[in-house]
Amino acid sequence: MAKQKKKLYALLENKKYGFNLPLTETIKIGKREYKIILKEDEKYGTYILWKNRRYPVEISLSRQNKFDILFNYVCYSFTIETPFSLKRKQYLDKTKGPVENEVIKAPMPGKVIEVLVREGDNINRGEPLLILEAMKMQNEINSPVNGIVTSVNVGSETSVIKDDILLEIRII
Amino acid sequence: MDIDGKYYRSFKDRIKQLEDQHSKEKVDKQHAKGKLTARERIDLLLDKDSFEEIDAFVVPETQGIEFGKVEKHYGDGVITGHGKINGRMVFIYAQDFTIMGGSLGIVHANKIVKTQEMALKMGAPIIALIDSGGARIQEGIASLSGYASIFYNIIRSSGIIPQIAVIMGPAAGGAVYSPALMDFVFMTSFTSYMFLTGPNVVKEVLNEDVSFEDLGGAEVHAKKSGVAHFIYDDEENTILGLKKFFSYIPSNNVENPPKIEGTNYTPDINPKLLDIVPDDSNKAYDVKEVINNVVDKGSFFEISELFAQSLITGFGRLEGRTIGIIANQPKVLAGVLDINSSVKGARFIRFCDCFNIPILTFEDVPGFLPGIDQEHSGIIKHGAKLLYAYSESNVPKITVILRKSYGGAYIVMNSKNLGGDYNFAWPTAEIAVMGPEGAVAILYRKELAESDDPKKLKAKLVKKYREKIANPFVADEKGFIDEVIDPAETRKKLITAFEVLSNKWVEAPSRKHGNIPL
Repeated sequence: MAKQKKKLYALLENKKYGFNLPLTETIKIGKREYKIILKEDEKYGTYILWKNRRYPVEISLSRQNKFDILFNYVCYSFTIETPFSLKRKQYLDKTKGPVENEVIKAPMPGKVIEVLVREGDNINRGEPLLILEAMKMQNEINSPVNGIVTSVNVGSETSVIKDDILLEIRII
Repeated sequence: MDIDGKYYRSFKDRIKQLEDQHSKEKVDKQHAKGKLTARERIDLLLDKDSFEEIDAFVVPETQGIEFGKVEKHYGDGVITGHGKINGRMVFIYAQDFTIMGGSLGIVHANKIVKTQEMALKMGAPIIALIDSGGARIQEGIASLSGYASIFYNIIRSSGIIPQIAVIMGPAAGGAVYSPALMDFVFMTSFTSYMFLTGPNVVKEVLNEDVSFEDLGGAEVHAKKSGVAHFIYDDEENTILGLKKFFSYIPSNNVENPPKIEGTNYTPDINPKLLDIVPDDSNKAYDVKEVINNVVDKGSFFEISELFAQSLITGFGRLEGRTIGIIANQPKVLAGVLDINSSVKGARFIRFCDCFNIPILTFEDVPGFLPGIDQEHSGIIKHGAKLLYAYSESNVPKITVILRKSYGGAYIVMNSKNLGGDYNFAWPTAEIAVMGPEGAVAILYRKELAESDDPKKLKAKLVKKYREKIANPFVADEKGFIDEVIDPAETRKKLITAFEVLSNKWVEAPSRKHGNIPL
């Protein structure tokens, strides 16, 4: 590979962090600069070496430019954008209409065992909303979006058929 | 040669004219839509300076055009040629939306046909970068004949060379059949769409309002129709995804998939695998964790990720060698087999079989999805596709039963007698004709009806059934399972088994072709 600096951006919850490739390996905290090394080996997996201590980084999902990284017990989901794709994203975000409510429907016929959220609850993407028993299996229904639960239409022991509306979420 | 002479100069002039065709305004217009130009796409996809163009200077057919007009230009709205992706030869055609909307005239079609014929002759994959307004109306029926020749060639090459379509703009009307006939379809979100009849016709005929995006956008095809196998947010990532995909597949049907040398950090004995499947068979888990702890680190590459998610399909590597992976996903709809997941699995198996990619199956399936909707839509014939595809394929096939394996679904998921080469089971496996509750209800109907405490009796019988029948040991003792293995040793067992099978050869019966229940 040619040693050519490439500008990239990491987008995390609409916040933008610019960085160069190859990584410059130093960051500034206050006024002091620290050297940070990202390493990968057979014994420890991926980790950040900082002040001679290892901080393990678990890549729980990597799909092209989308990543979920587990670090210090916090999961960060972000995307990597090039200057061109960032421009495109901003252009598309502008042309997109207003966000609609997310309606969670039953994926298959079954019985609700437990509802884990209440109206007004703040929920994050991936958090379980309710447990639906179907095909003799307890299925967790997870939230596909970040938002606020605006209505819950089922309780425990409610039987549902496919596409019944279980609950609604206002996207934030 | 005199480089100031007339001939050399006109040769140079022509090259300049071709370059000038891509004026800045046209490029900017394409960029403003969030799209790249055909040439930029090719540059991104192929190794540096490896692209060789063919037929750059053809001009469109203008004879006999009585309606509308065709502007004179070079290339007729499509760039064709060959180049290399990570050193491996591919043929490519990229439609150029900046020239007459990338519309397909007869000369445009002939260029594509020529590329297809060369790719087939050379045994190299072909990649179509599609960004076209459709048939060129001015040229009339001639452009339709062009489409027909392209389709014919795709079908002729099917199963001999991999054919991949990348939709980066509109593909409407008959044009959608060329991606549909190819092996895999990539789409870019928000700027590409595919449909047979557009929103205007839908409005006219059915009086329904629908947007381009809702009718045939990337998301619709990735989630609902299953037409698109991969979608990405922008064109750069689409092309990078395609390059990654390309590293898994061979160039043609007589080659083996490429072996990747390099580090893999997955240990052959991996105790993590002991902690994934819950003992309680009512509890779900993510089968992708099993996959990722078995294959080479970071090598799992999922196909049709958003469609029929109860069955996972994708490529992975074991010690650098490509395998095709099929796995029931207990996290989604309990991992049930339904119409969509059966069709998704069957098509994937047939691709692997065409291109010498061994198949690994992870099984945890409660059965086929019951219900009126499924039965009336023909789950019988669609489920049969999966059964057919497994039996028909003669690449190495290995199954690992993780947990549930009941009834018809047990048979379908590459059981021993369907031609599975190695069938392993984890100690958590439950292999039986049906689940404990169902079996007890049928076999002890009378006793349960007469009992004073049917619940208690049922629980007792279910427990007994689990101990006696729903375990892997009965099947193991009867030889329907080759070995019950320690989950931690799965990777090691699979590497050895695939090594044994690497020279597997099965003579297919002599016939034109089988009759898969389509």
